[in-house]
Amino acid sequence: MRHVGAIAGRELRSLFVSPVAYAVLTMFAVLAGFFFLLSVQGFREAINYYQQIGQIEALRELNLNNQLIGPFIQVMWIVFLFLIPGITMGLFATEKTNGTEELLMTSPVTMWELVIGKYLAAAAFVTLLIAMMAFFPSLLFLDGDTPILGLIFGGFDLADPDPEGLQTLAGLLGLWLLGLTYAAVGTFASSVTRNQLVAFFLALALLLVLWLLSVVADLGVAEGAGGTTSSLSAVLTWLSTSDHFDKLARGLVDTRDLAYFGFMIGAFLISTKTSVESVRWR
Amino acid sequence: MIEADGITKRYGDFVAVDGVSFTAEAGEVVGFLGPNGAGKTTTMRILTGFLPATDGTARIAGHDIFGDPLAARRAVGYLPETPPLYPEMDVTGYLTYVAKIKDVPRGQRKAAVESATERCGLADVHRRVIGSLSKGFRQRVGIAQAIVHDPKVLILDEPTVGLDPIQIREIRHLIAELADPEKAAHTIVLSTHILAEVEAICRRVIMVHEGKKVLDKSLAELTEGGESLEDMFARIILREKEEAA
Repeated sequence: MRHVGAIAGRELRSLFVSPVAYAVLTMFAVLAGFFFLLSVQGFREAINYYQQIGQIEALRELNLNNQLIGPFIQVMWIVFLFLIPGITMGLFATEKTNGTEELLMTSPVTMWELVIGKYLAAAAFVTLLIAMMAFFPSLLFLDGDTPILGLIFGGFDLADPDPEGLQTLAGLLGLWLLGLTYAAVGTFASSVTRNQLVAFFLALALLLVLWLLSVVADLGVAEGAGGTTSSLSAVLTWLSTSDHFDKLARGLVDTRDLAYFGFMIGAFLISTKTSVESVRWR
Repeated sequence: MIEADGITKRYGDFVAVDGVSFTAEAGEVVGFLGPNGAGKTTTMRILTGFLPATDGTARIAGHDIFGDPLAARRAVGYLPETPPLYPEMDVTGYLTYVAKIKDVPRGQRKAAVESATERCGLADVHRRVIGSLSKGFRQRVGIAQAIVHDPKVLILDEPTVGLDPIQIREIRHLIAELADPEKAAHTIVLSTHILAEVEAICRRVIMVHEGKKVLDKSLAELTEGGESLEDMFARIILREKEEAA
């Protein structure tokens, strides 16, 4: 595994001399800020709504984690859906167009070193994105009269005004795992084609299918009556990323969900290795 | 240094390489000749471990290319038809990366990169980004990546294609130097279409046609009869065609 660092390092450096990394970082910062403001706005509206209908008890029950940070993390998946394929699309596709595939495959580098090195570069980028977006919820942890807290509460007392640190971290962990899974899917998509655009759209399609599997499962339950449909729908629901992610985003850490993300990352990296190797058998 | 033993590559019914065997000693420069599609590139890709053979095997510096692929690959430097370059990297950064993945020990990397840069005449451009270099310089960077780990065997696929006459002369000079038994004594296999190139730098000629080896002689033997290499090439290839017809 001693070549992994060299391969990941080269990949990251190339990413940061290309405009793609900066375009993605800029878009991510803007979108994360936008969605955070939307979440704040939603929270304000909840306060106004309960105030108007005079539900003082409900008003006092409002909670920053469940009504603001959770929804913010949950909506960020859609940003990842579009941006992570943009990061991973070039991983293997450009090696083919540069002709550097022949350099890699004739060097004393194993397939696993190659695949893991590439993946770690993408994973490091995902980690950077998570660190960037963690800035927004961290604003809520500031003490005293800060403008952002004033904007949210507007003078109202909550029963529980302080956000929960661990619950927030659990949500970020969920988004990080989702990003790592998306990076594995994107790495695989890049390995099956020499065209970056194809890799981008293939990753997007795979990720959408993975997300929507649980919706398909729900439809199946509605139509079918027998026990067979429900076991199929259970499998589909388990395979789908959405339920696992939603639980984590709400702050519920369950080892079964963690295992799911580990399983998906492993499965797509094994597929990537097979796909890269297949060059030799064509 | 190189012992190829019955290398065969089939794609379905099509036989790209058909039982090619040859050996090459240290310090030998072997010219790999043949018309387009004769199987030169495929043979080279098998020797470097890029493609598996359907049948047969080869040993590079004593390591079987399928039994001990990593050791065999460490002993080979390879310049593919298109130099394998990352356009966004600078020359030194690129060569350092290649030295890393080719297992040059950490302490020797800087010296290895400097030596390859020097030998390929890249000292003036070592901080330049590869994408901004001319074709001749890119070809030299391609050769530099092939020699940076000081391999015993060099496999060069059309090293002078697309270069101007001055650049061709420089590359040929470099190849002759790399094979010099007094200095590096690399074993070099190079493919080319340019027959004058063979006469200029190769000591041995292997001709392949339709995947088969049709000739394997030293240059001295070949030129003994006074026939030019060009006439000989045409005679062998055309005779094969007539026999086939």
